[in-house]
Parts: sequence; C-alpha cells; structure tokens
Amino acid sequence: MVVRRKRRTFARRKICRFCVDSDLSIDYKDSKTLRYFVTERGKIVPRRISGNCAKHQRVLTLAIKRARQIALLPFTTVHTL
Amino acid sequence: MRKYETFFIVDPDLPDETNSVVDTKVQAIVTSNGGEVLAYTPWGKRKLAYPIRKHTRGLYVLIEYSGGADMVAELERNLRIDERVLKFITVKLEDRFDPEKERERRAAAAAAAAAPAPAFDEEEEGKASESGVEDDEAMPEDFEEEGFEGSKEEEEE
Repeated sequence: MVVRRKRRTFARRKICRFCVDSDLSIDYKDSKTLRYFVTERGKIVPRRISGNCAKHQRVLTLAIKRARQIALLPFTTVHTL
Repeated sequence: MRKYETFFIVDPDLPDETNSVVDTKVQAIVTSNGGEVLAYTPWGKRKLAYPIRKHTRGLYVLIEYSGGADMVAELERNLRIDERVLKFITVKLEDRFDPEKERERRAAAAAAAAAPAPAFDEEEEGKASESGVEDDEAMPEDFEEEGFEGSKEEEEE
C-alpha cells in the first residue's frame, strides 16, 4: 500500500493527444496512428491507459473498428496464416 | 446529395489490365447513377492484417464521390458481385454536400501544391504480427500496472 501511495505522487497526469495537437486527426485509413492505440494482441487500449478524452476515445474506437473491417488492423493475432 | 468514400481491396494477383477494368467499372457505376467521382486514389499493394479469401496481400483503392443513397446501394451491390473485389467499406463523409464549395476547396488544395499519395510501409506490418503471438497479457506490462493503480486509487477515496 505504502509503495503504491509513493508511486502515486509520481503519477503523471495523462493528457489526450488529440486535444493537445489539433492537427492530429483520427482517420480509419491511417493505420499508423491507430496502431499506437491498439495492443500487440490487437485490442483497443482503454482510456485510463492511453489518456484520451471521452470524445476522442469514442471517435478512435470507431476508426479502429473500421480499420479492422478493411484489414488495415487485425481483429486478433491468431488468424494470421 | 451526400459525400461518400468507398475503400475497397482488389485481388492483387490480377494483371494490371483487369485492375483498370475494375477502376472504370466502379467509376461508371457512380456516374451512371447520378453521382460524381471526386477523387480516385489507388493506394497500392499492401499486406492485409488478416487473410481474406486466402489472399495475404491486397490492392487498396480509395474513391470519393458524391451522390444519393440509391447510388451507394447500387455500387455496393456490384462490388459484392465482383469477384475481383475482396472487401470494401463505405463511409459517409458529409450529409449535405455542396459541389461549389468542394470545387473551391479543391482549387485551393491544388494551389497549395500536389501532396504525394500516402505511402504504406510494409515492414511495420510484419513486425507487429511477429511480436504479438507469444504475448499472453493483453496489455504491455507497464501499462497494466499504471492502469490498475489508477482504478484502485479511486476506490480508496
């Protein structure tokens, strides 16, 4: 418990990348940017970890799901040949 | 009038002539159903994130157009029939499309210099699929820890 409390003081406030940089747009065709918000397994990284705001996380989730549909991002790592 | 874009994957093993047939066919469907093709950009061959109909690579094509819902239905119907098209996705970009504004925007963009088409890099794909297989934890470890801590804190207070 003590260790946790101590670490907490170091915890950095996470900020939404898309709010900070308005040039950064979320597009389902831009798999490079989306890849940052997906785990190695292909899961969408939750908001509490990525630090995105609710609005952008919503848009991002949709973009990732679209990218999966068109095979730019994997649904899972298992179905690779 | 609405503005849409359709992103589709064509069989990469076909000879180039067949690809251009698909191109002209798609454009013909759009124009013959009262639509207007605004942009037609082939993205080139790219590795697929997962195999589609036993193909591991695909030729991506992006088409932007304006038109009504009927036209989209007709286009999608044709894409479904066409065996050369592996997969497609249609996204509505604008609900109310104004051709005048689009022309202005396009002229401005052209003046600002022709931007090169987005390039895919292939190596990035390969790395991701290799490294992900062994990973039983869904998230990278440091991520997990931080997140867990975060949620715990809230409970305490």
